[in-house]
Amino acid sequence: MDEQQASSAQPLPALQAALAAEHAAVYGYGVAGAMLTGTERAAALADWRSHQVARDTLEAMIVKLGATPVAASAAYELPFAVRSARSARRLAAALEDGVTQAYLGVVAVTDTTLRTFGALAMRTPANRAAAWRGSTIAFPGMGDSPPPISPRPGMPGDTVPA
Amino acid sequence: MLAASATTLPLFGALSACAGPDPLKGPPPLSADVRALLQAVTAEQNLIWIYKRTMASYSALAPSLGALLAEHQAHLAQLRGRIVEPPGKSVPATVTSKPAVPGTPATALAQLRAAEQSASTAQLRRLAGASPSLAQLYASIAASEATHVTTLTALARRNPG
Repeated sequence: MDEQQASSAQPLPALQAALAAEHAAVYGYGVAGAMLTGTERAAALADWRSHQVARDTLEAMIVKLGATPVAASAAYELPFAVRSARSARRLAAALEDGVTQAYLGVVAVTDTTLRTFGALAMRTPANRAAAWRGSTIAFPGMGDSPPPISPRPGMPGDTVPA
Repeated sequence: MLAASATTLPLFGALSACAGPDPLKGPPPLSADVRALLQAVTAEQNLIWIYKRTMASYSALAPSLGALLAEHQAHLAQLRGRIVEPPGKSVPATVTSKPAVPGTPATALAQLRAAEQSASTAQLRRLAGASPSLAQLYASIAASEATHVTTLTALARRNPG
């Protein structure tokens, strides 16, 4: 199990990283949702909205800390081609894993309130990842996998300000 | 060798008066961090016990519950791995809570769901004061237990009787 995030984290970079993951999820669900139908499409739409709410919450927290929230990129690199419902489900699970991992980074800060926020915020994406994947995992958010989708180089908002 | 003199004796006395662990009074008490870790280990052992008993009582549930049990065993291994055990001693595998298995699959699943919910909430109480690495482990296990609650809820819907 990876322990790369074991050292104490600073609140602002951790929150910015979580926001960047939420931006990526909002973009990614737009791609995944287009390949889904029926109840799965409805679930994707609900998850997309939920990520927008989480994004707004993080932006407000970052502004309250006196910083400028990281902007969304205009486009992102997907980890694989999404051309079917199956690959759309895989993408949705990967997006949720990425968001879970980002909130686990918030848990590494020393401030107990933020720590608890990060731990509580992990639960929903961990549940959604399990739903899209069709199975649970022992350690949500742990691991050294890179973000599932990353800003396309050269696009605005592809860096995370401190 | 330090010779006692009018100047060294007060210094020796001052050093002796320093508040610190007395090596003659046995091992120092466990830190809050270690106590929390031991509680987490016991909580996992309790959950594993309930899962095993439920699976033994309702074999039809075993395939579904087995995956969740395996994840708890992985949690336990990780938690135990964080404990530095003195040579020749090991953390006891003590189960402190052994509730009876309820009389129907539905109520047995409800008991498991309540135990998972309670365990997940308890992990959050361990965050304060924990090292960043340990806090992340608690948070990840709490999230895992939250996914178990959802899984058990769905399983209960398929086993209403």
